[in-house]
Amino acid sequence: MKVSFWSILALAALFTLGLAELAMELHHVQVVDVAAFKADLAQQATRRMRKPGIRGRILDAKGGVLAESRARRDIVCDLSAFLKNGRLANTATAVDDAITHLAEALGFDRPASLTTDRITRHLRTQSAVPLCVWRDLDETALARFEERAASFPGFSVEAHAERIYPRGTFAAHLIGYTGRDRGAEDTDDIRMLAYELEMKGRAGLEAFYDDYLAGVAGAVRIPVDARGFKPRGAARDNIALGEMEERAAQDGLDLELTIDPDLQSVVEKQLDGVRGACVVLDPRNGAVLALASAPTFNPNDFVPFVSAKRYRELSEDPDHPLLNRATAGLYAPGSTFKPVTALAAFRAGINPQDEYECTGVYKLGDMRLHCWNRWGQGPMDLHHALEQSCNPYFARIGYLMGTNTLFRTAREFGFEAKTGIDYAPERSGSLVSPPFYPGLACQSAIGQGRLQVTPLQMAVECAALANGGKVFTPFLKKRAAELPPPEPMRTISCKPDEFEYVRNGMRAVVEGAKGTGKAIGGLKVSSAGKTGTAQLGGGEKDTWIIAFAPYENPTVAVAMIVERGDSGGKTVAPRVHAILASLFGEKEE
Amino acid sequence: MLKKLLQFNWFTFLSVLALAAIGVVFIKSAGEARMATSLQDAWRLHAATALFGLILYFTLSFLDYRKILDLSSTPYYLIAMILLVAVLAFGDKVYGGKRWLWFFQPSEIAKLAVILMVAKVFGRSRSTNTFRDLLYGLGLLALPAFLILAEPDLGTALVLVPAILVMLLCARVCLRVLIPVLAACMLAAVAVLAAVHVAETTNNLQTKETIYRYLPLKEHQRARLRTFLNPEADPYGGGWNLRQAKISIGSGSLTGKGIGKGEQKFLGYLPPSVSMNDFIFCVLAEETGFVGASVVLSLFGVLLLSGLWTALRCPDDRGRLTVIGILTLVFVHVYVNIAMSIGLMPITGLPLPFISAGKTFLVILLAAFGIIQSVSLHREEES
Repeated sequence: MKVSFWSILALAALFTLGLAELAMELHHVQVVDVAAFKADLAQQATRRMRKPGIRGRILDAKGGVLAESRARRDIVCDLSAFLKNGRLANTATAVDDAITHLAEALGFDRPASLTTDRITRHLRTQSAVPLCVWRDLDETALARFEERAASFPGFSVEAHAERIYPRGTFAAHLIGYTGRDRGAEDTDDIRMLAYELEMKGRAGLEAFYDDYLAGVAGAVRIPVDARGFKPRGAARDNIALGEMEERAAQDGLDLELTIDPDLQSVVEKQLDGVRGACVVLDPRNGAVLALASAPTFNPNDFVPFVSAKRYRELSEDPDHPLLNRATAGLYAPGSTFKPVTALAAFRAGINPQDEYECTGVYKLGDMRLHCWNRWGQGPMDLHHALEQSCNPYFARIGYLMGTNTLFRTAREFGFEAKTGIDYAPERSGSLVSPPFYPGLACQSAIGQGRLQVTPLQMAVECAALANGGKVFTPFLKKRAAELPPPEPMRTISCKPDEFEYVRNGMRAVVEGAKGTGKAIGGLKVSSAGKTGTAQLGGGEKDTWIIAFAPYENPTVAVAMIVERGDSGGKTVAPRVHAILASLFGEKEE
Repeated sequence: MLKKLLQFNWFTFLSVLALAAIGVVFIKSAGEARMATSLQDAWRLHAATALFGLILYFTLSFLDYRKILDLSSTPYYLIAMILLVAVLAFGDKVYGGKRWLWFFQPSEIAKLAVILMVAKVFGRSRSTNTFRDLLYGLGLLALPAFLILAEPDLGTALVLVPAILVMLLCARVCLRVLIPVLAACMLAAVAVLAAVHVAETTNNLQTKETIYRYLPLKEHQRARLRTFLNPEADPYGGGWNLRQAKISIGSGSLTGKGIGKGEQKFLGYLPPSVSMNDFIFCVLAEETGFVGASVVLSLFGVLLLSGLWTALRCPDDRGRLTVIGILTLVFVHVYVNIAMSIGLMPITGLPLPFISAGKTFLVILLAAFGIIQSVSLHREEES
């Protein structure tokens, strides 16, 4: 025979060796390297999905809710229920048809934005995430869906957090608003799937305290098939791979504010119908008790996102409702700056008792600075000049001391710098800008010239006058009770009797016989203040009041501006009176 | 009758049965991940085909293999060649190749035809071993091989080569030429791999172009060799199937995920279009682990070695050559199929005998093992 025993034996050896080699290699893959392959499987067959934490609330000083998260309920579509073989477009068409059918059955309008293109894009980029079909449904609509849900597999109701501002326009500038954005930890390398982007503060305290309010998104690994869909049916029931929480979501913290809701309401009422701003501080520590800007907006318009049309309306409105005038509006302070000038005068060695004859105008070269009283107010000392807001008197002492002393004192009060409030945006304003000219010191001394200040800076100035020179950093977030009271940022280096002199002058503004701000008074407590009327040219005026009360032991300091008013005494003083009266009550006759 | 029962090779028969049953189980498992009902029910078809094949198995095993060879091998060979030509002319185009005629694959039929023909020609007691005989033997191989290559189906064409060469070697057909030719073939295979390796790793575009101009490889074949040489290079393109096959097998670990619970299979990472056929071993290894894979390897071991035992006990060359040809073909299928799914060989579309879904191949295999059984039963009868 040609086929020998040995060739058959050789074949037996070949077969045995071949199978043994396979067995050894399989042992290597399935036993030795098993961990690596299991890791590869977990890596490719799961996607990381965000589980956002619930955003914290914003509360006023009395615990009233200014911003919170509510449950918004959507009808969503699980795309894998409509998965078709072949091109993705087949699946997109199936989803599209299913939505149309459901819309007919429920009597809803089909969402116009949900085109086949949009469905296809969703299928391509995040097929494991449900597609939102109808957003934010009310109880009736949900009930109608629940009745028919059984005959529409693939559709379900999901709840998601949505921001709501229960008091509407109340403290809108302070609270700001939220938009939807990718989380900070999302990079291009690790992009997590998300049902929708998280709420992120876009303006106001929502933006400033975004990290505090937002919490940390958790991550869940969900199984996906090779096409990126959630497994369904037999696949879901038979595989060991399930949802696993990689990191728990952390809810955001509640932000408690120093804002007194009742006071804030009064302030907003006093600003109703005008353009202006008002800040009320506690001069003992710098806490912001009320802060408002007018006109205002409704932050609910920004939820879940602001329409392009509405945003254009708001941003192109000539009254700039989105601008927070209290922190970012720049104005000439007018005569409300004069207490600063008065303190600077002490530094310059000017004797407050020296009298100066007011003739109604102060002349320097070609420059004419008129007093509000064209006929002149007669002989003035510093006290009466404050009480009656005499421009020529202050122009003269400005001329005598020069800009250096004046601006150095102003900077100690915090002008030309941000106050450091826990809020954005804030502007720093300025005291002076080129070109310089001889009358600048005179003009600056009466709060005109090139002075640019924010109402918040004026409130800080007023608080420093009230408390005898302590400049506090204003703050909105309530300090924890166990913390020590805040230290002043700076103490103004003027003697207490100099402060007392100026404060006394400010009390005369309210309570003196010829005071320009008598309309502030008439309260149960004694108060002090200063009026201001800044000339803008063309006969237009921005009108101011700064005031504090009670005089002996001040607990509030107010700065208020009304744009295009008549005068501080006429336009603003009654409003400030109303604000102070809400706190201290009217004097009983 | 008792003697017949004793001569019946129970080891091959039972391992064939076991392997076909395993095939039914895992075709069912692979089908569960598919949407089409026809694919979900493919296991029924496999079982039915196996039953039909078993009828053929017993029919052939009770006939004398000498008669089978003498009477049928030449007409069978001719019919097979006609079918191979017919499939080129009228075949259905599937996945870019004409492999199907009506409901069967002529190339599978041709595999057994060539083996039987070569066994008949070189198993004759008066046959010579001249160079002309070698050329005749190689010609018998080359005709179907080129027809199959034209479909094109490189894998099936290539799988015939070792089976026939082993038969010619065992029949000692002109060894002084055959052995150098074999050595040259091996060298050529190594040279092709080396050339592809050089072409893919060189930075010189001109070198690459020159190499590919002289290599008769199609783009997808180049890609498969590339993946084989460097599996990590393109895990989402050409390397996808290999990577997914390895993840399926590897994540099966020692004991597997449980029959019907394969994640790679269910989630479609293991390409669903091949999970029932060429990649069924991955489904099996994922669901039953190293233990299950070892059982299957052992069954193939029992099948091959008990088959060789039949060859050893057979007193004539025809029987021995037939058995050796069939067993070598099965071994090459098993080795290539499993080796490719763990990266030991380039990806080639070869089914796993008895287990992969594939009606024609299963029937042919059962017929072939029927003939082996016939060798076992009729070896002592005088021709």
